[in-house]
Amino acid sequence: MRVEAKQGWLASRVPGFTCVRDMLCESRSPGAPWLATLPTLLAAMLVLLLASGVVLAPFYDPRHAYAALQTIMRDVPGGWLVLSYHQIGASLAFALLYLHLFRILLVRGYRAPAEFGWMLWVKLLVVLLLAGWMGFVLNGGVGGHSSLFNAVNAAMLLPGIPGAVAMWVFGGASGGATLARLLVFHALLALCAAWIILMAFAADKKARPVLQGPGVPFWPIYAAQYFAALSVLALVFAVLLGFVPHWGQGTQNTIPAATAVIPAAISYPWYLTPAAGLAGAFPGVAGHICAMILAAALLYALPWLDRSRGARHGRVYMALTWLLGVDVLMLGLVTAFPMGGVLPKLLGLWFYFHFLVLTPLVTMMEAA
Amino acid sequence: MAESTAGPDAVPPEAGRRDFLKILAMAGGAVGVGSVVWPLLGALTPGAGGKAQARPIINVSDIAENSAKAVQWAGLPILIRRLTDQQIAVASVVAMADLPDPAEVSSRVAPGNRHFVVVVGLNTGIPCQLEGNSPTDPRGHYDGWVCPCDGSEYDVLGRVRSGPAKYNLAIPRFTFINNNQIQLG
Repeated sequence: MRVEAKQGWLASRVPGFTCVRDMLCESRSPGAPWLATLPTLLAAMLVLLLASGVVLAPFYDPRHAYAALQTIMRDVPGGWLVLSYHQIGASLAFALLYLHLFRILLVRGYRAPAEFGWMLWVKLLVVLLLAGWMGFVLNGGVGGHSSLFNAVNAAMLLPGIPGAVAMWVFGGASGGATLARLLVFHALLALCAAWIILMAFAADKKARPVLQGPGVPFWPIYAAQYFAALSVLALVFAVLLGFVPHWGQGTQNTIPAATAVIPAAISYPWYLTPAAGLAGAFPGVAGHICAMILAAALLYALPWLDRSRGARHGRVYMALTWLLGVDVLMLGLVTAFPMGGVLPKLLGLWFYFHFLVLTPLVTMMEAA
Repeated sequence: MAESTAGPDAVPPEAGRRDFLKILAMAGGAVGVGSVVWPLLGALTPGAGGKAQARPIINVSDIAENSAKAVQWAGLPILIRRLTDQQIAVASVVAMADLPDPAEVSSRVAPGNRHFVVVVGLNTGIPCQLEGNSPTDPRGHYDGWVCPCDGSEYDVLGRVRSGPAKYNLAIPRFTFINNNQIQLG
């Protein structure tokens, strides 16, 4: 059977089989910005995370987590490299996702008809944050263990059905049985992330405006742009891998977990620090949990919190969006380097204030 | 990128150079992807410890004549026996018609090291560890091994001679590194 005939045979039976070919032949509007390659770079990082995770999984032992990591680092051929792939891949995936989300906020790309795509990107953030936290815990170090200890204690305090579900998730006090579960959930969330990003690509494609006038073919013009962007990412990856392989991972996980050691403040990997800071904006265990849910819900609801109804960008809201970016950065910094005082709380509360009050108010005033 | 915006219909003035760049970029990409994937594949291959465990080296110089040494390999008891000249001579003249599972001497020992018999020490009838490694052990009528469970008897080469068992003892994969050492696996 000839190649065309095979493709035709498959295409008439499997929907979506031709999407790669269609993408390569697609005509696009010329002059797309370099930052439009971010989702593809993120997808490449997710593929690397999946591949390295699959390789790490057979060597991981949830009942001797710390020892398993030592084995991977020392005994598995090239294990140190695969572990670095996974750690640096996680760092870069979060960096790309944060950058992409911030870009959507700046260009207000979350408004109709792209709101479904935006919701999927927010879902991806939630899933990756959960998976990232589990990865941090699976290290079997003091930092991860004490974070898990807090989470399990919080779960035990929850009343009724939420508490029962949380206990089912954790499977009792933090130990080997809990890590075994988290390992499975970590892998499941990774598969969810892969599915969500595919959906997000499809949604974004649907939301793209219809091409006006002659476009340029994806191959080879945009393919070259994507290739160059991937090369830059590979360069950044190689520099991190070669010179600062443990950058931003937190230092406490280098100490094996022991129930008697509870650090005064947990040093999270850098990509979890803004979320940890947001959780700390409200007091108490219930406050932390509600803060996380509220933050995700606000991001999710942003297309409806923005009252501009398709009007042009306003300067004030643009400035406020930049301010939000600085706020989240600062929040991460004050969580990574605890300083006490009222500033961390204020930075956290500003996030909620921005979405709950400023966004509807300012966008409505600017659209009027 | 800048020259590409002329559109797909415009004939590139330097097609040769562009083709070269295309091949260069694709080759670079292939090398990059390959160098990322290589450690992933490498990590899943057995490490030095696993390889040593899979192919252990056994010293056979300490085995006395007419006795056998038992080692564990891949969960199986491996018996290594040093034969006397007389035992080889006796085993060589057995008629094939007398054997339930006919096998020549040459198929039971390694050429050049005819004094050593290496077999899996499990009865081929009901799986049971054989007796007869030491000259003082019960060895049956054929001077080899006997099964304490069903009474099957084997000769010095591990060929079945009587009993419920129908097949000769299995021979594991092994090679003589030198006259004193064999490597299993």
